[in-house]
Amino acid sequence: MNLNMNSVETLVAQIHGLSGSISDINQLHSLLKQSEDLFQSESTRLAPLLTELDPFMHSLGYLYILDACTSAPISKEQASELVLSIARFINLCAAEQIRLAPDKFTSVCKRFKDQVMLLEDPMQGVAPMLTAIRKLQLSSEHLTTLHPDFLLFCLLAKCYKPGLSILEDDIFDVDQPRDFFLYCYYGGMICIGQKKFSKALELLHNVVTAPMSILNAIVVEAYKKYILVSLIHVGQFSISFPKYTSSVAQRNLKNFSQPYLELANSYGAGKISELELCVQAHNEKFEFDKNLGLVKQVVSCMYKRNIQRLTQTYLTLSLQDIANTVQLNSAKEAEMHVLQMIQDGEIYATINQKDGMVRFLEDPEQYKTCEMIERIDSSIQRIMMLSRKLTDMDEQLSCDPLYLAKVSL
Amino acid sequence: MLKPFPSIFRQITEAAKGLGLEENMASSSSSGLTFKLHPLVIVNISDHYTRIKSQSLPPPSTPHAASASNGATSDSSSPPPQPPPRVFGCVIGVQRGRTVEIFNSFELLYDPSTHSLDRAFLEKKQELYKKVFPNFYILGWYSTGSDAQESDMQIHRDLMDINESPLYVLLNPSINPAQKDLPVTIYESELHVIDGIPQLIFVQSSYTIETVEAERISIDHVAHLKPSDGGSAATQLAAHLTGIHSAIKMLNSRIRVLHHYLLAMQKGDIPCENSLLREVSSLLRRLPAIESEKFQDDFLMEYNDTLLISYLAMFTNCSSTMNELVDKFNTAYDRHSRRGGRSAFI
Repeated sequence: MNLNMNSVETLVAQIHGLSGSISDINQLHSLLKQSEDLFQSESTRLAPLLTELDPFMHSLGYLYILDACTSAPISKEQASELVLSIARFINLCAAEQIRLAPDKFTSVCKRFKDQVMLLEDPMQGVAPMLTAIRKLQLSSEHLTTLHPDFLLFCLLAKCYKPGLSILEDDIFDVDQPRDFFLYCYYGGMICIGQKKFSKALELLHNVVTAPMSILNAIVVEAYKKYILVSLIHVGQFSISFPKYTSSVAQRNLKNFSQPYLELANSYGAGKISELELCVQAHNEKFEFDKNLGLVKQVVSCMYKRNIQRLTQTYLTLSLQDIANTVQLNSAKEAEMHVLQMIQDGEIYATINQKDGMVRFLEDPEQYKTCEMIERIDSSIQRIMMLSRKLTDMDEQLSCDPLYLAKVSL
Repeated sequence: MLKPFPSIFRQITEAAKGLGLEENMASSSSSGLTFKLHPLVIVNISDHYTRIKSQSLPPPSTPHAASASNGATSDSSSPPPQPPPRVFGCVIGVQRGRTVEIFNSFELLYDPSTHSLDRAFLEKKQELYKKVFPNFYILGWYSTGSDAQESDMQIHRDLMDINESPLYVLLNPSINPAQKDLPVTIYESELHVIDGIPQLIFVQSSYTIETVEAERISIDHVAHLKPSDGGSAATQLAAHLTGIHSAIKMLNSRIRVLHHYLLAMQKGDIPCENSLLREVSSLLRRLPAIESEKFQDDFLMEYNDTLLISYLAMFTNCSSTMNELVDKFNTAYDRHSRRGGRSAFI
C-alpha cells in the first residue's frame, strides 16, 4: 500500500510538472488515463492530496483525483464539505483542461448533484451548475448532460431567472437523447412558471415530436402539459400530430391522456359550465398528475378567449352584454377582465366608463418606424442563418447510407 | 454624347509614338475634318470579328488523341494558337461640309493573293444600300488589328477611286482591362514629304461618338444580352441588381474622390478653385429631393413592406427545405412509416 501511495505521490509531482503547455497537458492526460486503477484503489486516501493542487493550474489532475475521491460512498457529514469543495473546483477550474476529459467532469457534477439533493438545499447547486455548463459546453448550441440537472435545481429552488437565461440559447447539438427530453420538459415547466407560454409550448412540442423508438414517461407527462398549455396559449388544440412526430408517439400517446383530451373537447365547445363539469369529473386524475394549477388556468383562459372572439364580431359593446355573453357574473367583473387583457396586450380596446361601453380597436402598429425595420432586419438575419443550417442538414441526410438504402429500393 | 477627353487623346498619340512609329503614321491629322462615329459601326465590326474568329477556331481535340501524341510535343492537346484573323469591310455615311458622319458598315471579303478587297461585291452592296439610304456614300473601310500595316495602304489606294480621301477605321480586338477608352482609331491619308519622296501615310484623327435615341436604346439592349438562358427571371433580376450595384458603387467612389478633394482644399494642400466649389455646391443643393414627414412615413412603410415580403419569402424557402428534410428523415429512420405513401422523390 505504501508502494501505491508513493506512485500516487509521483503522479502528483508529475501533475505539478506537466501542467504548463498544451503538449504537456496531453501527455499528462494519457498518463492519468493509464493510472486510473491506481486512483481507484487509493480513493480513500486521496483527499489530502487535493490541498497540494491548484484547481486552476492543475485542473485535469485535480479532476481525476476528485473523481476518484467521490466515487467512494460519502457519509452525510462529509456531504456538505464535499459539496463546497466541488463547487469551489467548478468555479476555479480551467475550461480547456476539463474539456479533455468531459465524462469525468460530468460524473463529478452528477455526484455533486446527488449530494446537493441529499442535503435538500437545491439553491446551493444553481450557481455552480451554471458555471459548469458554461465551461463544459463547446458552443452555446451544445446540450450537455448537465443541462437538465441545472434546470432541475432551478425548479426545486424556485429560482427561475438563470434557468430562463439558459433556455434562450438555441440547441443544435445533443449528446444524449434522454438529456434532450428532460431538458425540454423541465424547461417547459420553468416557462410555465414564468408565464412564458409560447416558449413553454415550443419546448413541450419538441418533447412530444422528438424522434424516439419507444415511448417513455417523460413524453407522456409532457404531452399532458402540452395539451393544457396549448389550450391556455392558443385557445385550441388539434389532435393530429405534425408529420415529423415519430409513429410510436402518434399511436400511443392518446391512450395515456384521455381526461385531457376530453377537457380539450369541452373547451372547444366554448361553454364555461361544461368545462367546469369536465374538470370536476377528472379532478383526482389532474391532481395526481400535479396539473391542477394549470387546469384552473385553462378555465380562467376560457373567459379571455370568449372576449377575444367578441372583438371579431362587434365594434362596440356594453360591459353588461359582455358579461352576459361570456357568462360572467356582473358588469364589474367583465370590466376587470377587459382591463387586464388590455394591459397584457391581448386586445386593443378603450373602455368608456360613463356609459359602460367598450370600443374594440385595430392593432395600432403602422409598421412605419425605424425600430420595426431593425426588428425585421434582425429576424431576417436569424432566418438566413437557420436556412443555411437547414440546407447543410438536408445535404448531410441525403448522403446518409441508411437513407440511400431505403430510397433505392 | 461621349467625348474623349483631350488628355486621353494625348495619351493615344503618346502611345503611338512610343510604339515605334510605322513609316505610314504621323501624330495628328491636319485636314480639319470633324469625324462623328455611330456606335452601330463599332458593334458591327466587333460582331463581324467575333463571328469569324469563333468560326475559325480548330475543333477541340479529344483526350485520347492527346495521350496518343504524348511525348511528341510539350503542348500536346492543341495546335499552337494562330494569330486572330483580320476582318475587312466598308464604312458608309454622310459628309456635310467639314463634318463626316459614319452611320453604318458592311462586310467585305479580302483576297490575300491580290491584297485587295472584292470589288464586284462592293459595288453590288453599294447599289443595294443606295436604294435604301440614298444619302449614304462610301466613306472608307475598316479592319481589325492593333496597328495599321503596310498592306493596308494598298487597300486604301484602291478605294481612292470611289472616295478621293477614304477613311480607315481600325478596331483593336485585344481586350485590355486597364484601358478605359474605346479601342477604335480613325486614320486619314495625307501626302507627306519624307526623305524627299512624297508618300501617303496614315494620320490619326480624333472623333466623337454621335447617336440618336433609338440607336442608343437598341445598342444598349444588344450590349446587355447574356449568352446563357437569359430568359429566366432570376438571372435577369440578378443581372439588373448587379448593374444597379455597380452603378451605386461607382457613384460612391466618385463622391469619395470629391470629398477627399474638398478636404484637401480645406486643409490648404490644394489651391482654392472657386468655380469648382460653386459646381459642388450646386450639386449638393439638388439633394435631398424630398424631405417632408409624409414622405418619410410612406417611404418607411414601403421599406417595411419590402422587408416583410423578403422575410415571408425566406420563411417559405425554409419551410420547404424543412419539409424535404423531414421526409428524408422519416424515410431513413422511422421504422413503421406508411408504405405506399408519397415517395421522397417527386
